Amino acid sequence: MNHGLKAGPVAAVVTRVPQYCYQCVAGPDLLNVKVEDGVATEVEPNFAAAAVHPGAGKCCVKAYGLIQKTYSPNRLAGPMKRTNPKKGRHEDPGFVPISWEEAFAIIGEKMQEIRARGLSNEEGYPRAAASFGGGGIPTSYMGTFPAFLSAWGPVDFSFGSGQGVSCTHSEHLYGELWHRAFTVCPDTPNCNYVLSFGANVEASGGVVAAWRHGEARERGMKRVQFEPHLSVTGAASAEWVPIKPKTDAAFLFALVHVLLHELPRQALDLHFLKQHTGSPYLVGPNGFYLRDPETKKPLLWDLQRNAAVTFDTPETDPALEGSFTLDAIEVGADGQEWRHRGLVCETSFTKLVTRIRPYTPEWAEQTCDIRSGTARRIAAEYVEYAQVGATLEIDGETLPYRPVSIQFGRTVNNGWGAYECCWARTLLACLIGGLEVPGGTLGTTVRLNRPATTRQASVRINEDGFMFYPMNPTDKANWKPSPAVRNAHATLVPLSANSPWSTALGPTHFSWMFQKDSPEHWPRVTPPDIWFCYRTNPSISFWDTKEIVKRIAEFPFVVAFAYTHDETNHMADVLLPECTDIESTQLIRIGGSKFIEQFWDHEGFALRQPAVKPQGDTKDFTEIATELAVRAGLLEKYNAAINRGAAGISLANGQYDFSLDPKVRHDVDTIWEHSCRAASAELTEGRDSEGLAWYKQHGLRTRPISRLTWYLFPEMKKQGIRFEMPFQERLYRVGLELGNRLHEQGIKWWDVQLEEYGGLPKVMDFPGIWEQETIKQAGVGALADYPFWLITSRSMQYAWGSNVGVQLMDEVAGNMRGHKGVVINSQRARELGIEDGDLVEVSSYTGTTRGPAVLSQGIRMDTLLMMGQFDHWATPYAKDMKAPSMNSLIAMSMALTDSTGSGADLVRVGVRRLEAKKE
Amino acid sequence: MTRFIMTADLRRCIGCQTCTAACRQANATPVGVQWRQVLDIESGEFPDVRRSFVPVGCQHCGEPPCMHVCPTTATYQRDDGLVEVDYEKCIGCGYCAVACPYQARHITHRALFAYGTPMASESARFDARRLSVATKCTFCMDRVDAAKENGMTPGVDPEVTPACVNSCIAGVLSFGDKEDPQSNVSKLLDETQHFRMHEELGTDPGFYYIWDKK
Amino acid sequence: MRITPWHQTNWDARAACNFIGGGGGCGLLIFAALATTSSAEYRMAASIALVLIAAGLCCVLAEIGRPLRALNVFLHPQTSWMTREAMVAPFLFTAGAIATWAGGGLFANVAAMLALIYLYCQARMLAAAKGIPAWREPAVIPLMIITGLTEGAGLTALLATLSGTASQWLTGVLLATLILRRIAWKMYSEALNKKGAPKKSLAVLERFSGPYSNYGQSLPEMLIVAALFFPAEYVWLIPLAGAAAAFSGWALKFTIVARAAYNQGFALPVLPVRGQGQPMPGVKPGWTK
Repeated sequence: MNHGLKAGPVAAVVTRVPQYCYQCVAGPDLLNVKVEDGVATEVEPNFAAAAVHPGAGKCCVKAYGLIQKTYSPNRLAGPMKRTNPKKGRHEDPGFVPISWEEAFAIIGEKMQEIRARGLSNEEGYPRAAASFGGGGIPTSYMGTFPAFLSAWGPVDFSFGSGQGVSCTHSEHLYGELWHRAFTVCPDTPNCNYVLSFGANVEASGGVVAAWRHGEARERGMKRVQFEPHLSVTGAASAEWVPIKPKTDAAFLFALVHVLLHELPRQALDLHFLKQHTGSPYLVGPNGFYLRDPETKKPLLWDLQRNAAVTFDTPETDPALEGSFTLDAIEVGADGQEWRHRGLVCETSFTKLVTRIRPYTPEWAEQTCDIRSGTARRIAAEYVEYAQVGATLEIDGETLPYRPVSIQFGRTVNNGWGAYECCWARTLLACLIGGLEVPGGTLGTTVRLNRPATTRQASVRINEDGFMFYPMNPTDKANWKPSPAVRNAHATLVPLSANSPWSTALGPTHFSWMFQKDSPEHWPRVTPPDIWFCYRTNPSISFWDTKEIVKRIAEFPFVVAFAYTHDETNHMADVLLPECTDIESTQLIRIGGSKFIEQFWDHEGFALRQPAVKPQGDTKDFTEIATELAVRAGLLEKYNAAINRGAAGISLANGQYDFSLDPKVRHDVDTIWEHSCRAASAELTEGRDSEGLAWYKQHGLRTRPISRLTWYLFPEMKKQGIRFEMPFQERLYRVGLELGNRLHEQGIKWWDVQLEEYGGLPKVMDFPGIWEQETIKQAGVGALADYPFWLITSRSMQYAWGSNVGVQLMDEVAGNMRGHKGVVINSQRARELGIEDGDLVEVSSYTGTTRGPAVLSQGIRMDTLLMMGQFDHWATPYAKDMKAPSMNSLIAMSMALTDSTGSGADLVRVGVRRLEAKKE
Repeated sequence: MTRFIMTADLRRCIGCQTCTAACRQANATPVGVQWRQVLDIESGEFPDVRRSFVPVGCQHCGEPPCMHVCPTTATYQRDDGLVEVDYEKCIGCGYCAVACPYQARHITHRALFAYGTPMASESARFDARRLSVATKCTFCMDRVDAAKENGMTPGVDPEVTPACVNSCIAGVLSFGDKEDPQSNVSKLLDETQHFRMHEELGTDPGFYYIWDKK
Repeated sequence: MRITPWHQTNWDARAACNFIGGGGGCGLLIFAALATTSSAEYRMAASIALVLIAAGLCCVLAEIGRPLRALNVFLHPQTSWMTREAMVAPFLFTAGAIATWAGGGLFANVAAMLALIYLYCQARMLAAAKGIPAWREPAVIPLMIITGLTEGAGLTALLATLSGTASQWLTGVLLATLILRRIAWKMYSEALNKKGAPKKSLAVLERFSGPYSNYGQSLPEMLIVAALFFPAEYVWLIPLAGAAAAFSGWALKFTIVARAAYNQGFALPVLPVRGQGQPMPGVKPGWTK
């Protein structure tokens, strides 16, 4: 009997080539590419890595698109240059094919010309700018290009393509401040109870989150999802609570209220609060810690001595609550001091209890549309599940075990109200002793603090007993009135720090906004002389996309590393098509702990390598970077940067030296050969030095690490550092100083943002901020015209990686509800005469977008949802989707920018039916 | 006796469609032809709403209606429970497709490619024999057969396990021999509550949906 | 993505025509043997019947994906009603051809018997399609058989009247088959409603039911009754009734095969428990129950 399939085409030679996938921030994951007679045909998990990869060696749906991505006829087949000097959406760029030599010559001439004029322009901004896709992931595909950028000198990374406005921005900044948590997640393998506010982790957490949460669900972990619509994550949760958009902070404050005012104090982890937080620190009448007049160290009240002592006094029993009388000083902004004698004061914790008193569940019910009983039940469950007092042994060390956690998603943890959410979340963890301990709420990685090797390595104590944090200076001597980069992060956002990542944080929309109109007393913002862009499409992914396109069109010279034509490189002067993921070589670090939920028991390196020959006349990114370095006259600096580790690993340290000769131009394989050898040596402390051939065969190399590295608490305890909770004296002081500096310059337009700096946060009418802006822009009565909140949600299939043009992703995404449409509550839709599939128009005060209505019971009556933002007009395949995008509806707005410089994907909209569904 | 079955733990499934994509690739099915698919089923009324993600495809029934109706014996049942199609025998009458209560059978009459003209990856694996005949999930029969040759265990060793199971990132899908009480799927079914879809139709499906612990 | 039952796309109007031609042709072949009064009359009726059956089979041939392998259809007589239908067909055509040549006689009876078997095969073939709730309902078997007979009686009555050889007996039989078909349709509809079916299937059948009852059942029945009271009008009342009986039967089959053939869809008898959530009653989207 002929068994059908067996008689199908049979390849003569079949190989499996190990690769990594880092198309989204939830990676990297590991995979094999199956190659049949030289043609890549399949993506498969790399089961050889299952023992070390926390997602069992698997890769998510996006990786399966790599085959089509490689062979797509929509790829650019070779370099191109623009022939139409006019730029804009409606200008045909007139791209014509050119040779690589011509492309490099054009760019080389421009680079030389720029360098001759100076690296910074007349306004002090870098003449070169670069934008990459979200979360730093493009660095895993751009080979040695970071070394080129390093060799170049100052580069402005602040032209946002989504970061700041569409990332979990407040969590990044405050997370790093409080517990070295650029992102935050539960210790899922040990956690039993998760309150998830808009965290769509089943769609955005990648393979590892899917795997860990799947295991946890089967184990019985209870997750309660607070979200205006029933997302994939809500669907996979035990309970869905349809909270009103942007009221999460109110609900969290109500939970804090129940814990502090309704449950017995003994239900809390009092030991943790006393010994491991700033709760016992005494606070003076001006809102600053009371300090010892001599040492200026913060004071607490020791119940054993019945006296005020400095926080670092050994063997104390700090008073958590109460009023005490003492002599002390307060140190305010800009060195201002107050001396107190016989002062009656309270602890930070008592201040907290007082602050939280008004935020009852009944108050929250009015705001969040969640019954007060629900808040009380959830608060009680939270405490019950916390098992205060329980311990767990990890690698021989006994740690507190608190299997409860709170997780946030986008729009909850960026924009107005996000700070309050992050604070309340961290506080709730502290109240039950669940911050950075097994089962509890953990940070994943650091991006602002240094060194970035591990979270623990960046931990050191400051003078007040909390963690050091590299705030941008706000004192008169060191504050920078003239921003070094166009988003002014160091000038306006002290918390954004000053690491290589910092320029991509802060108000990245200001780079675009201020280019059109600079605010009062602010230096003029001018376009960069040269802009590199790669794996980013701000013309689609940022807000007010029409405006973004106009600003990009003003850029005089744009070099786009381009896989295919898109809405941003439509304005490019030169298109450089690089080899895609499975055609080129790169070695990256894997393991340790990474966002979103990647916690490994190993660390090491993984290789990406050419599984197939490059399609068309494309080049390995490393080859491009090297050539650019040569043309810019920077070869030596470029090689030196590689040797320092700019391409992922330092090529020399005390134990090994595989440095490249800085004067010589090296080919791609030589560079990665040296990197691979250094990687082997680093992992074996100099013993081994296997090179590229070994990694090509094995794909990865790792070594085990202790699981203790998952938790910051042991390091904090070891160094005697307290979590800076609940009182925020440091932020209050910094905010005052920043205000002083700005006012000295005559700048008043940041005053509202300055109000966010305070000792203890309070909940405001956060949705009202958006409503007031709507009224301001569209007039009184606008809320009746725009009665809905429009929100968005992550699509695992489309997100990141240019997947919007990959047919397979488009096809399988179609199996999930809501893609490419406007999701609206079924009942509300019918009241408006809208049926499933009808074409509807959604409008805000900035514009309109249209798409088919998707009727759903799983969304609030007052909310619309658009998954994915797909109003492409240039990207092949995607431009034929005719799908809606909220990005066209959201303004770049100062009023909607919070003190960290972020906003939120949220806008008031109206909806109307245009025509019936086409059968 | 051997009866290969698949289990889907609905508690775990998140509808990511990784299995769908993996199957499309592993079996080189044409555009839009998904032998494995995950449904997104919404039920209830606001605010008491549920979304369930449900992998579907050929259930490799013990009493396959597709096989009974097939006039050509192209659809046949193997001793190990797999229900397969002999593409050389099938006349493409579609009777099996209307007999299948799981909508698992597909007949495409013309070649379909992702971007119109075939890419190298599509050309390499294009199989004209599959045009105008019934196709469906084979439980990756070629892999299962390889197990006999290399002594591996389907459902345990990835090389001989269906692509969808291998790819699943949430640990939803499992594959194995239900007649072997020590197999992974037998143990899984022993420990859990489960159902089979449209079981009342007497098809004896070989696809079990796990919905709770015991 | 489709969750609720959608209309099957594998069998279209061509498949419906097989049931129309096959059923009507078989019915006609049966009544040609029973009711014709002359060789010429038989030849005409049998010829039309064979053409109808052949046309139906040609439609099937036009629908299958691999017509060059059509002979494979004979490979599965053990369980496939399609194979069985196909196996009857050559005998049916041979006997029919001989009977037509002979103008009736023994082979007319043989052909009639084979036609009855062919008709039965077709009815079972539809019922064996388990994926289509509107087809797999067992009550579809008597309905398909009786409508085939009704169509045959109607066509025979039409031809007989045109030939001037109409008989009271045939008129009575036509009335009887109509009444039986009314009962079979009722049983079929009630069974579907009782057991539950895709809403869209039932909606199609519901929409069809009114016109069908009026013009496919009541009209021919009334015409026949009228003919009893107005024998003078017999010559046009009876052919009209016959035609209505036949055409309504074809409409009935076209509706069931090509309009109401929504598939099973998907269902969950219970919804999964997520973490420590509660199980929920199951769902069967797009179904009446």
